[in-house]
Amino acid sequence: MNKQSLPYTIGFTFFISFLFVLFLSFAHHTTAPRVERNREVTRQRSILSALGVETSGPDQIQEAFREVKEIEREGITLFRLDDGETGVYAKEFIGSGVWGPIEGVLAVTGDLARTRGLEIVDQTETPGLGGRITEGWFKEQLRDLRIVEGTIRVAAPGEGDTDKENGKIDAITGATRTSERMGVIFKNELERIASALGVEL
Amino acid sequence: MSSPKEIMRENLWTNNPIFMQILGICSALAVTNLMINTLIMTLGVVFVTAMSNLTVSLMKSLIPRKVRMIVQTLIIAFYVIIVDILLRAYLPDISRALGPYVGLIITNCIIMGRAEAFAQSNPPVLSLWDGVTSGMGYMGVLMTIAFVRELLGFGTVLGFPVLPSGFEPWIIMVTPPSAFFLLGIIIWIGKTIMNKEGATA
Repeated sequence: MNKQSLPYTIGFTFFISFLFVLFLSFAHHTTAPRVERNREVTRQRSILSALGVETSGPDQIQEAFREVKEIEREGITLFRLDDGETGVYAKEFIGSGVWGPIEGVLAVTGDLARTRGLEIVDQTETPGLGGRITEGWFKEQLRDLRIVEGTIRVAAPGEGDTDKENGKIDAITGATRTSERMGVIFKNELERIASALGVEL
Repeated sequence: MSSPKEIMRENLWTNNPIFMQILGICSALAVTNLMINTLIMTLGVVFVTAMSNLTVSLMKSLIPRKVRMIVQTLIIAFYVIIVDILLRAYLPDISRALGPYVGLIITNCIIMGRAEAFAQSNPPVLSLWDGVTSGMGYMGVLMTIAFVRELLGFGTVLGFPVLPSGFEPWIIMVTPPSAFFLLGIIIWIGKTIMNKEGATA
């Protein structure tokens, strides 16, 4: 057979493409349930972390997430964890960062007196600068912070502020614009949670 | 025909894809700020280069000349997508950290270069070995850059803190320009040593 002829070239190209795509479809299909489970576990881990529940391992995460109730109010989905008092509510958010969207979860107490925690799920801020919003020290600033005048102020320059009663967190040095965007995200999300819960900020 | 030992020496040193052929530079700048990400990504490149070389070599007598390069691209893309599927299913955190860079392995010139320059005219086992060693030559340089960037940018090696707590991270080391400078320094050192070897030989 002439391997340089047009019919052979077309036939070969068609067959080889079909064969490789068939293998890929098979690989995708067999791993799809696992990929979906990973995605769900990551989402649950973020919500639990914002709610202040530390977990490790997929089984423990799924077990702990059974205590969380998903509720919808005013078209907004919230995740409620009973704490024996006002309850703690988490809301997933997508806000505008400097280079792209910032996705995360913000959790607050039911009376909106305090934040409970923050988790960043995805972001494309500058690595080492704005990207530091994913670091523990930044997120820990939102752990049980008092909400003052309906907002959380991101103060620049950072002063190593450890006061949990002043409604203020430190901005990231060298990432003023990302810090400002985070301030806007907090304000918008607190307003949305307040409207969903029917609570005055 | 070169012996396996000669092929290894060429790919790791005298004809290293990065500092002799200046190929694969884009990923050398983009994914070298954390060693673990660099390790996984370069292992992916070793796997793709080796398997695409093997496949191209096995099929070389069947591939029509006119569609030779598009078929090579198809083979490379197939193995890259396999790597992507496996990472998403079994190493989801690393898959998320690497983001689009796994898919971009397809555009790494080293892989296409070896398929075209070696696998197209050599037997399968030798082509597989050429792919493995080419990938390792690339891995060696990227891991060196990643080691310096992670050490000075974060004070860690493979995520473990190794520098004293008072160490002030170098912000430039976590941004791509530092990789550009480091790569220049590595090329300079490599060529200087090679020139000296040449002079004494």
